[in-house]
Amino acid sequence: MLRQLGPFIVASVPIIILLLIVLVLIFATGFANLGSSFWGSDWNPPKAWGIAVFVVGSFVTAIPALFLAMAIGLGLAIASTVYLPRWATRILDPFVDLLAGIPSVVYGIWGYLLVAPYFGKVLNPWVYAHFSFIPGFGGRAPISDGLGLPISIFLLTLMALPITTLLIRDSLRSLPRELWESGLGMGATRWEATRRIAIPYGSRGILSAGFLGFGRAFGETVAVAMVLNVMAAYPVNFYSATGTMASQMFLNLDAAFGSSSWLAALSYMALVLLAISLAVNLIGRRLVARVVSYEVAGL
Amino acid sequence: MSGTLPDAGGPVISVQHLSVKARARAILDDINLDFGRSSLTAVIGPSGCGKTTFVRTLNRMAELTPGLTVEGSVLYLGQNIYDTQVNPVMVRRRIGMVFQRPTVFPTSVFENAAFGLRLIHEDEDTIDKRVTEGLQQAGLWEEVKDDLDRAALSLSGGQQQRLCIARALSVQPKVILLDEPCSALDPAATQRVEATMEFLKQNYVLILVTHNVGQAARVSDRIAVLSSGRLIEVGATADVLERPQQAFTEQFITGRFT
Repeated sequence: MLRQLGPFIVASVPIIILLLIVLVLIFATGFANLGSSFWGSDWNPPKAWGIAVFVVGSFVTAIPALFLAMAIGLGLAIASTVYLPRWATRILDPFVDLLAGIPSVVYGIWGYLLVAPYFGKVLNPWVYAHFSFIPGFGGRAPISDGLGLPISIFLLTLMALPITTLLIRDSLRSLPRELWESGLGMGATRWEATRRIAIPYGSRGILSAGFLGFGRAFGETVAVAMVLNVMAAYPVNFYSATGTMASQMFLNLDAAFGSSSWLAALSYMALVLLAISLAVNLIGRRLVARVVSYEVAGL
Repeated sequence: MSGTLPDAGGPVISVQHLSVKARARAILDDINLDFGRSSLTAVIGPSGCGKTTFVRTLNRMAELTPGLTVEGSVLYLGQNIYDTQVNPVMVRRRIGMVFQRPTVFPTSVFENAAFGLRLIHEDEDTIDKRVTEGLQQAGLWEEVKDDLDRAALSLSGGQQQRLCIARALSVQPKVILLDEPCSALDPAATQRVEATMEFLKQNYVLILVTHNVGQAARVSDRIAVLSSGRLIEVGATADVLERPQQAFTEQFITGRFT
């Protein structure tokens, strides 16, 4: 019994940390009752504390960024493992790893000062001029400062890209050499062997890359706060501004020091953000295990 | 040295002045060897003699190893597969290969056997038919016919290896290269795979790499002995084993050299 105490304590460390975070947040709320409006769309403190706008905003920015980061990451990973000559891989791989280490505030500054004007003056007007027939791409014209959803999604894509690329790359590399060769030995081209063997074989890692990439994009705070033009309103179209849970909490930290209602509201919001992130991760793991165990492990 | 079995219609594969180098080091040195129809040739020799590299030159797999250069020619039905206009992908669709360890893909038994057929976009009826035939010829059909959708990785090692043989057979190649296909299998599974090989040699050109002289004795019609990248001796199995012409061959088959 005692022999297992040490391992048990070590194994519990992450759970204890998580519990501490949750408990502190719960106490920070002071169990304040913010009323039934909490799950509504009306954010008008101190009268109404509806966070639905921010929940939606978090998804609206994170989901497209995740899809882009997965698609580009898959492309880069396949290029790196299958197609590029060794000297090119030696340049590509370390730089992808390096991107992961750039602080998000640097992305934010860069995005705000250099990229946003380009979005505002060139890209958004061009998309508006040519694609306004697509639902969501017409309506209210984009504003010229370029802040809003497109640049937020762009930055989140860049920020999620290293982790998705890295994990997908490792999953593709985990394919045993003999399996790759026997695909080619059957007369598969490199692309066919990638699509039919390497990707299914690495599917567990590729799906995990998706869930981790989602976590990165969903919780990102500072950069989004800088370029999203955060406001408490649902996006009306592709170019508009909205708010995310993380950026909203960040921008209202000051208020939380002066008011217990604000502190409670932000703490509740933090709990919601945490709950969604954890739920996505847990459901993701379950899903990955279920989908993949049959094909790969033969269980 | 060259070895040709008398066979109507000429050799299926004719290896002529084949040399392989890894940078400056010679791995194979001027190999000349023909493979006729419907036979099983065992390529034997000690570890590192170049026998695996040899079979990998026969379907242009050798060039996947960085740094290897192949000289000479390998004629498949008279066509040199090393001609510049020949696409290695097409060569590999004609000349099947089975590896040391089972290399089933992470999908169902059926899709594994259908892999090569999907690559050439056969219709579903043909795929069904060829998969069945492939599994029957590989001696696996009775064991898997009730559940072709089960994961291939849930099969035993020996079953997986026979599935790999079925996968190679389904595209109806003339030649199948077997690179120590039993080295990861237990004796019972080895016996099943050997029985499969004996059945297949009636209709295919089988080229079996093995370091196991006993296996060569059991299943092959002809033995080619390699040492340090050179073809030392080739002849009918009984002749080579009972009356070896070269001292090296005698040492190797009697186990004085491993």
